[in-house]
Amino acid sequence: MRKLTAISMALLLAASAVFANGGQEQAPAKKAETAAKKATKIGFVVINDESDQGYTWNFMNGMNAAIDKLKADGYNVELLVKRNTTESAICKDNNLELAEDGCEVIFNNSYGFEPFMLEAAREYPDVKFIGMTNCGSQSDGNPNTYNAFASIYEGRYVAGVAAGMKLNQLIDEGKITKEQAVVGYVGAYSFAEVISGMTSYFLGVRSVCPSATMKVYFVGTWGDATLEEAAAKSLIDSGCVMISQHSDTTSPALAAQKAGVFHTGYNTDMTKAAPQASLLSCRINWEPYFYTFIKNYIDGVENPSDYTGTMADDAVTVTDLNTAIAAPGTAEKIAQVEDALKSGKLQVFDTSTFTVKGEKLTHAFALDTDGDFVPDKEEAVYDGAFHESKFQSAPYFAIQIDGIEWLNAAY
Amino acid sequence: MNAIVLLLAAAGAYGTALMLGTLGEILTEKSGNMNLGVEGMMYMGGIFGLIAPNLYEHAVGEGNASPAVAILLAVVASFAIGALAGALFSFLTVTLRANQNVTGLAMTTFGTGVAKFAGELRRLQVGGYVTLSNDLKFAFDNHFMPAFLKKIPVVGPILFDQSEFFYLSILLAVLMHLFLTRTKTGLYLRAVGESPSTADTAGIDITRYKYLATIIGGGISAMGGMAYTMTTAGCVWIEASLSGTGWLAVALVIFCTWRPLNAIWSSILFGALMIMYLRIIVPFFPTELYKILPYFVTIVVLVITSMRNLKDKQPPASLGLNYFREER
Amino acid sequence: MNDGMRTPLIRLAKRDEMNPRMVWAIRIGSILFAFLLGTIPILMAGENPFVSYGIIINGALGKPGYIRQTVKRAIPLLGCALAIAPCFKMRFWNIGAEGQITMGAILASFVAITWGKLLPSPLLLPLMAVFGIVGGAVWALVPGFFKAKYNTNETLFTLMMNYIAIGIARWLQGGPWEGRPGTQLIPMFPEAARLPSVCGVYCGWIIVLVMVVLVHIYMNYTKHGYEVAVIGDSINTARYAGMNVGWVMMRTMLFSGAISGMVGFMLVSGANGTLNSDVAGGVGFTAITVAWLGQLNSFAMIAIAAMLAIIGKGSATLQTRLSVPASVADIVSGTLLFCMLGCEFFINYKLIFRSKKEVRA
Repeated sequence: MRKLTAISMALLLAASAVFANGGQEQAPAKKAETAAKKATKIGFVVINDESDQGYTWNFMNGMNAAIDKLKADGYNVELLVKRNTTESAICKDNNLELAEDGCEVIFNNSYGFEPFMLEAAREYPDVKFIGMTNCGSQSDGNPNTYNAFASIYEGRYVAGVAAGMKLNQLIDEGKITKEQAVVGYVGAYSFAEVISGMTSYFLGVRSVCPSATMKVYFVGTWGDATLEEAAAKSLIDSGCVMISQHSDTTSPALAAQKAGVFHTGYNTDMTKAAPQASLLSCRINWEPYFYTFIKNYIDGVENPSDYTGTMADDAVTVTDLNTAIAAPGTAEKIAQVEDALKSGKLQVFDTSTFTVKGEKLTHAFALDTDGDFVPDKEEAVYDGAFHESKFQSAPYFAIQIDGIEWLNAAY
Repeated sequence: MNAIVLLLAAAGAYGTALMLGTLGEILTEKSGNMNLGVEGMMYMGGIFGLIAPNLYEHAVGEGNASPAVAILLAVVASFAIGALAGALFSFLTVTLRANQNVTGLAMTTFGTGVAKFAGELRRLQVGGYVTLSNDLKFAFDNHFMPAFLKKIPVVGPILFDQSEFFYLSILLAVLMHLFLTRTKTGLYLRAVGESPSTADTAGIDITRYKYLATIIGGGISAMGGMAYTMTTAGCVWIEASLSGTGWLAVALVIFCTWRPLNAIWSSILFGALMIMYLRIIVPFFPTELYKILPYFVTIVVLVITSMRNLKDKQPPASLGLNYFREER
Repeated sequence: MNDGMRTPLIRLAKRDEMNPRMVWAIRIGSILFAFLLGTIPILMAGENPFVSYGIIINGALGKPGYIRQTVKRAIPLLGCALAIAPCFKMRFWNIGAEGQITMGAILASFVAITWGKLLPSPLLLPLMAVFGIVGGAVWALVPGFFKAKYNTNETLFTLMMNYIAIGIARWLQGGPWEGRPGTQLIPMFPEAARLPSVCGVYCGWIIVLVMVVLVHIYMNYTKHGYEVAVIGDSINTARYAGMNVGWVMMRTMLFSGAISGMVGFMLVSGANGTLNSDVAGGVGFTAITVAWLGQLNSFAMIAIAAMLAIIGKGSATLQTRLSVPASVADIVSGTLLFCMLGCEFFINYKLIFRSKKEVRA
């Protein structure tokens, strides 16, 4: 067997000597047109791939748009993507490999990537690493690591308003009673990012439909069609007439449609998938951030170590309203709310609009600085509202408010 | 009580995919072939069962596609690819005498690879996600039973509020049961699985039975993947969610002691256990731990049947062993 | 009697011996055939197969960084294959390596989480290794015991044990060992609990190479190894020779699980730096093919593990450079396996064609 090993290794090495250069010739040949300037390589480590129709699809759209815009503006950039990365050692290896391949800026798009990305970042201090949705990079002391997210809670609020208007319509038409205005939320995990999103959504609903309540199921994974569908069905069976989600697939939308209830989505426009149920979705528009970050890097301008895109920056938006099924007047109401949010007149987490165990919220810390996962710094409640995404881009609203029922708190 | 009824009704969706996967593997294992490649076959059935109607719809144009043709294409395509895989497995293990465990595992790797590859390729070709237009989509998960049947207390939602594939699988289960217990061919098949040397002496063509059982069984299992993609996953290719279903089907085959009729209720049961944490909260018992109950229960069944050595609850005696006539 | 019946067109006869050159020729031929078949998916993706194979090799071996990644992929593959080899030699179909790795990883993680900040590396790491070994060994013993005592089907039993172990890991992730509440992620282990690197890769590669030698010695030069071989050859012979077959089965499973547990420890301490339910990541299944293709010979398994690691790493690079999906690695590996499984037939059997000059009986 050893002879076989020797012979086959020899053959393989011979083949590689002949063919290996073939692979490398491809890339330079393609870059012949822009041969003058050396291309700045941008790396992107993503969970799933575009076929998830949700999270990574949204990210890739933003990234591709940004790259196109940069090229149109005369910047020479090249994108390298590592798809289907798992939240494990593979993530670190992918980051290392992109750095080795010459990437100067590497984005990581999933929450669980950050610890691995940070280890890779230590080995390549000249490469910029950005961990999106998380919060460890901006405080780890390394100048080459960054965080970024957006104030998606604004988008959630707007989606909630559209949902609330629909609920009002159902109540007015006698299809449901005031008490039956229950919203079902399919959540992924029970930590701040999800809690912040669902609470802002609920507050949006309640701002137009005061009798609304909400129930939440946590599925325990970012995306799994079986579990998301089962959660949505379960919520519908327990009386929910409006479904929303913080999860990656379109299953909740389809489940809502099958059951004849309504839905608002996340990350992508789900109205094509469920035209009779889905009203609109809220999403983060990543293009401005990617464009600005890369442009700044190439131009030598310093980028902030933490970045929060807002609705005013066009980073948070809602998809086109499904006017066929939306309640009359929704479009105008949405425009109104968006203006109020952009100008700062409207505070989503206005403490007069919710209670915690019957009491008004007067104090909450935003940041956890000692690593015990309990916030201990930066007062977030002031001027009559909880200020989300002000002290760091990653959400930190993790409070359970009255009106939202956690159906499975085991997670 | 109501919660349990609703849970079982909801479990029917995922349970259908499991049922088909299990039924196919039961048929295969009855012949003595242990095909551990069910996972790969279900993956392939899942993607080709989606690509076939997708290609059809692109060919005739949206709006011109007939739902019946789409469903037929999905069924035929997934069955065909599973049958092909089953034929490959048989060729390697029966004709070329390869070890069944290793061949099955290779089939899993190969099958999942082919499926992911086909899905990715098609996605690049259409430039978006691979899916069907909404008219076709709703044809697939069509709970077509009349409403009054669905409203019957307790039984209604569980038995009548299901997709067409649910009824197809129950039909298959009944047919398989009748085939195995009432027909001569079925008896011969069981003989092949129990004691190939005896069957060979009696003149039964071992090779043909093993081939046919594996081919048809593979096709049925692959249809399970298609049923999953077209109903639960909403006619969208999501590879990660299908993962593990094939292995669960292998477990189910043991749990239902190789009897097709048992497969009906046990797949619903397993399906229910998977999603139970989203409906019924069991205090103090961590969710993840009761998600592994199905596997645990299967082990108990395995141990008990081997301890008591009950003849009719055992796996086919020659399961996993290749038959060499020369060594008879 | 064969009156009226003609001899079949093709008959099989088992070969006693075959010219070693022919054997290698057939094997290499089947590998090349598999690579030829592998060009089909690449062509379907619209790319040139030779360029693609070139990129695969370049992506796996072209730079020191790439080689490091390839080695990282090969380490658990090889380690796990070493674990499985003794079982398969005994015809005990242990499909449970995945779960045994996970169990070893869980116990090693327990040590890292509980004492990671209290003990220094030289004490902590061996302790983690011991716990890992025990975890894997115990997990393998259970099915071994039932097989020995009640002849319970080991293939199915070990398979189920996989999912139970993975489920336990998932529970730990979301429950007692969770870091930030709600995220279901276990925090990274303290520095002391991480295996040091040698030549840029965690020292697991050294450990695994040592294990190759150890397993080789165990299987070929010890009494245990001899007993395993006899049982694998013929269980009845073993019994007549007075061997306690049941005990040998359990002992071999302990050994196998121990090695898998060691791999689990290496994965959480060296590769990942934390525990998650996906720690084995399918290695337990792929390693079975490595063991089989290597004909259960420890040194051959190095080559096979390397080959699969190269294909895997290279295909990941292929997806980044061209748009050929990385799953082409699975297709090629599967095809390789099919071809090598198939070619064994031609090595073991002779085909006798019906000749024209047959004399009727």
